[in-house]
Amino acid sequence: MRKIITIIALLALIVVPVFAKRGNKITIAGSTTVLPIAQACAESYMDMHPDVNISVRGGGSSVGIANIIAGTVDIGDASRHIKSKELTQARENGINPYENVVANDGIAVVVHFNNTMNALTLSQLKDIFTGTVQNWKDVGGPNMPIVVVSRDVSSGTFEVFNSKVLQNAKGADGSLMLASNNAVATTVGQTPGAIGYIGLGYMTDELKALTIDGVMPSKKTIQTKEYPISRTLHMYTNGSPKGLVKGFIDFVLSSEGQQIVEEQGFISVD
Amino acid sequence: MKKVVLFMALLILVTAFLNAETKLKMEIWNRWTYKTSDGEVEKNEFAVKRGYFRLEPKFGNNIKGRFNVDFFSDDGADDGVGLKMKYAYLDFSNLLPIKDSKLTIGLMKTYFGTIYDWDYTTIEKDPSDLYKFVSSTDYGLGISGYLPNGFGTYAVCAYNGEGYKNTGSKINYGINPLVNLRLIPVTGVTIGGSYMLKTEGKSEIEEGGEMVDNPDREEYSQMAGVGKFAFGPAYVLAQYLMKETDMPNMDDFEKFTETVISAMGVFKVNSKLDIVARYDIYDPDTDVDDDGKNLIIGGVNYHIMRDSKNAPKLFLQLNFEQLSYECDDYESETQILAQLRWIFSETMK
Repeated sequence: MRKIITIIALLALIVVPVFAKRGNKITIAGSTTVLPIAQACAESYMDMHPDVNISVRGGGSSVGIANIIAGTVDIGDASRHIKSKELTQARENGINPYENVVANDGIAVVVHFNNTMNALTLSQLKDIFTGTVQNWKDVGGPNMPIVVVSRDVSSGTFEVFNSKVLQNAKGADGSLMLASNNAVATTVGQTPGAIGYIGLGYMTDELKALTIDGVMPSKKTIQTKEYPISRTLHMYTNGSPKGLVKGFIDFVLSSEGQQIVEEQGFISVD
Repeated sequence: MKKVVLFMALLILVTAFLNAETKLKMEIWNRWTYKTSDGEVEKNEFAVKRGYFRLEPKFGNNIKGRFNVDFFSDDGADDGVGLKMKYAYLDFSNLLPIKDSKLTIGLMKTYFGTIYDWDYTTIEKDPSDLYKFVSSTDYGLGISGYLPNGFGTYAVCAYNGEGYKNTGSKINYGINPLVNLRLIPVTGVTIGGSYMLKTEGKSEIEEGGEMVDNPDREEYSQMAGVGKFAFGPAYVLAQYLMKETDMPNMDDFEKFTETVISAMGVFKVNSKLDIVARYDIYDPDTDVDDDGKNLIIGGVNYHIMRDSKNAPKLFLQLNFEQLSYECDDYESETQILAQLRWIFSETMK
């Protein structure tokens, strides 16, 4: 009898912590594009609810979705839609990814502020990022080599750009593959011949956004989908949000939350 | 000679892939095994059981390759180390007008049962591998992909059938077809099955200047049924395997059927610790009594490090195994295994 009690006690010691309430904590990880929205919303939400602790980290959309599949975060941020492979893995693991659209965004194609280029077509953009065109003079610009700055493959921004611009063609050899929007913005801002792409919210004074097929990325052209490289930004949860997570997602989607989205340089979902 | 050829292939691949985005991955299994039977110690050894070196070049987004060699230290190789090519295939996606499908050609995964996505939650092999139903990789080609809305996966393939280890006279001559389907009708519930027809040896051989039926020709009909139920931090994986063996050109040969029933439960205590239990029942001939064996495995996996996507990077596996025989003439065997697995990867662009 004593042995049975001991075994039950040991099992309880192991099992109880698994099901124990995790307290008022929300964990968020994923897209570096969604990161500023998540951070700013988390700060405001924690100001309003001091008992709630929200931890936010980046890593890329793949990281956000992988952690939702693994059940290690409450919210997985992604600047792309979940892939078939990821959705299958999630459902197999008993996870039901639920897509909460929290913002609209355009991927701005940026060059150094002093570059005389103002416009490119989607076709020219593809030629540049696949390495077919390597000098600005071939697309009507100055005689200057093009430095291609791209995003790493775990980035949702890369996935969207890859799908909408490169149409899954292989990227240019020797292009710089950087880990965040900030890194791309900084590198392009410091390199006169560079071209890169970033979420609209990362525009800085050192950068110039180009028109694509004659359309400048703006709130209006992104909301109307007139701008060709536009997308939605997501916060994935396991099933429709519940409890504490629902409170936070509801806040992000509220007028106050969407104002934060706009303040961060993105477009609201209204 | 084979090793020299493999080494050269590796060098060529490394050189060839310098201009493509290539992922390098290495996985090492350091294992201690302590095996006893009838009170006698049969094995007490340290070994590097596996040293997978993998290259995954990406020739654009529609063509990817995988080249994998497996180093090991304990298979009785003359120079104390062995080397096998495990994977050498190319995936062509978006080539077929089927969404989320790919065409694979080369030394590729065998999409049978759970052998193709077995991640060694127990140190012991996948049941199809352990009871020698199929080899984990084989030469061939196939179409595989995902069903819409995460409802499952499918594969239709044709293989040589000899796997990746056989050479010389054991090389196959026939095409071995396989179909595999896994469905996820409800989140957390996976059901599926595989069917493979396999042959060994030519159907006819030359004898006395004329072609006659090959008496050594073997034909196998194999199927696997798979069910997985995931709920919260736990899941149960169950499998039923069946293999029917026939030698159609041998007059007095009687067909026989092998079966395996395997069930494995995993409970994720927290992000560091998994508890695992497995029970296999193997019957080598369903028409013969008391010829089977049962395997019980219990253990833990302790994750020391994970990567940003929560995939294991460094973890310790401890397993206790007991193999018992239905026939009283054989003594049961007990094994204690401890294994440190470490995985590292880097993407070269």
